[in-house]
Amino acid sequence: MPLNYYIVLATILFSIGMFGVILRKNTIVMFMCIEMMLNAVNLSFVAFSKFHGNLEGQIGVFFIMVVAAAEASVGLAIIISVFRAIVSVETSDSNELKL
Amino acid sequence: MEWLILFLKVFVVFQVAQGLASLCVWVERKGSALIQDRIGANRAGAFAQTDILLLKPVMPIIRLLGVLGIINTLVCDAVKALFKEDFLPENTSNFVHSLAPFMGAFPVFVAYALIPIAPDFTIAGYYIRPQVASLDVGILFIFAMGSIAVYGATIAGWVGNNKFSLLGGLRTAAQMISYELALGLSLVCMVILYGTLDLYEMIEAQSTLLFGFLPAWGVFTQPIAFIIFFIAGMAETKRAPFDLPEAESELVAGYFTEYSGMKFLLFWLGEFAEIALLSALMVIMFFGGWDIPFVHYPETWWGALIGHAVFMAKVSFFCVLQIVIRWTLPRFRYDQLMTMGWKMLLPIAMFNLLLTGALKLLM
Amino acid sequence: MEDIVWYLLSTVALLSAIAVVMIPKPLYSAFALVLHMFMIAGLFAMLDAHFLATAQIIVYAGAIMVLVIFVIMLLSLQGAEERPSLLFSVASFAIVAALARYIVPRLDAAFGSSGTDLAGTVKSVGELLYTKYIFPFEAASVLIMVAIVGAVILSKREKKDAA
Repeated sequence: MPLNYYIVLATILFSIGMFGVILRKNTIVMFMCIEMMLNAVNLSFVAFSKFHGNLEGQIGVFFIMVVAAAEASVGLAIIISVFRAIVSVETSDSNELKL
Repeated sequence: MEWLILFLKVFVVFQVAQGLASLCVWVERKGSALIQDRIGANRAGAFAQTDILLLKPVMPIIRLLGVLGIINTLVCDAVKALFKEDFLPENTSNFVHSLAPFMGAFPVFVAYALIPIAPDFTIAGYYIRPQVASLDVGILFIFAMGSIAVYGATIAGWVGNNKFSLLGGLRTAAQMISYELALGLSLVCMVILYGTLDLYEMIEAQSTLLFGFLPAWGVFTQPIAFIIFFIAGMAETKRAPFDLPEAESELVAGYFTEYSGMKFLLFWLGEFAEIALLSALMVIMFFGGWDIPFVHYPETWWGALIGHAVFMAKVSFFCVLQIVIRWTLPRFRYDQLMTMGWKMLLPIAMFNLLLTGALKLLM
Repeated sequence: MEDIVWYLLSTVALLSAIAVVMIPKPLYSAFALVLHMFMIAGLFAMLDAHFLATAQIIVYAGAIMVLVIFVIMLLSLQGAEERPSLLFSVASFAIVAALARYIVPRLDAAFGSSGTDLAGTVKSVGELLYTKYIFPFEAASVLIMVAIVGAVILSKREKKDAA
């Protein structure tokens, strides 16, 4: 498969993820959409690395995965503590600066 | 021809997986009876009679199988499960309800693709390695499959639509993720020691001798890693003493409370296939696979067959050992389980990893 | 053969990505995302990035998504949210199509259509990771450590206030 197929796929996946973040109100789904965007970028990195003959793109993907894991743990902890405070994970419900 | 060989390999390895799982089911039923001072299944088929002359010579064998309880476990249980009502809880989707047992059993069987079941041999000019896929990532793939096996139990717990199932599913997820760490670290020790990720090469690396008399099996070179792998692996199979997810005195039946019939049997099959997989991994990494000290297998089909028999004997031993442990030890308390995973196994595994790395550098 | 596998993987990846956004129930979204992760891992494997394909399954499908599903189940979010509007989705595809129309011809000219024989095996990635990128690697482990501590503090605070 030529490179542009991969890049177009990655672009579409990235924009689906982006629209998910914009459209959805559920923070967990938004979080998942961010993961999807990271995945799309990973895909383009690996594809570029393969077609460039340079392994460093894959190292980049590795670090993105590390950051995603860290993001998941902290992000979900934040979601849980927000849920404890306002009993909702919807962004439209967290509309007060102070509890 | 290549395709035919591949197909045969897949067929044989799948049969090995299923055969081992069935063996485990039988040992579980008969062995548990022995341990609890019962007789166990011995009726179905034990008094079989026939008037057909052709079948007369076979009848003693069938009667023997019946007395040993094999017919009961392998035929009657399956038939019963097939005809049982497939109960679906209210307000759940049938698709997810069916997906859960599939997700529980599927990764386990996929992981068997990496297990070499016999030494290399040459037949009719074809050089055959009895391993379905020799991937570059090797044991990492099995680890990956182990890490997605948690979905089956988790989804099952959620789809049950009651508190007991949900608690069982949550406990499963927490337990499996906790013990995966120790399991992974003990695997890393072995990878460092053998310098390869490929299971076949790991077995080959163990075929030498230590000090001239001791086989260079992983259990002698890495005893700590073996103990950690054994404990963490048993926790991964979710059986006593680690059967908190299905603790029947607290949670009815844990995550598969709402399952019956063939779906329940699929969970069971996956569980026993996981036990067999764990035993196979232990034999491959710590007990030299088909290796017997001072013996070298010829590269012929009968050499491979003998190697396969030795391998299966070792694997069966560990299957039986796990079942004996399961029927001997009482269940952990939940805090004990977590303490053991995070405060005992993980630090010991890390220390062992440090030690292994240092020794590898020095030698 | 390879083309068929590619189209299969990418189609399922696209459909599951759409499902993540469109399905109202968060848990089903999570299932769709798990499927999506597997498809991406398959695409990595097709690009000979074997290590990353496995790491993708272990890290995303095996750890992150289990955590997400764990949280969804723990908060018992059955999902009462309305479905995102179809109009936005169509608009998004229009934008993407326009973008792709702009990008594709330029890519083809710059990279050609055949890949190199580079393979991201465990050995090659590991060697690079432990020599040239040893400092970022160690920094990443510190980051994970900080994240663990942060997660513990964030989710424990509530209890301390109550006591």
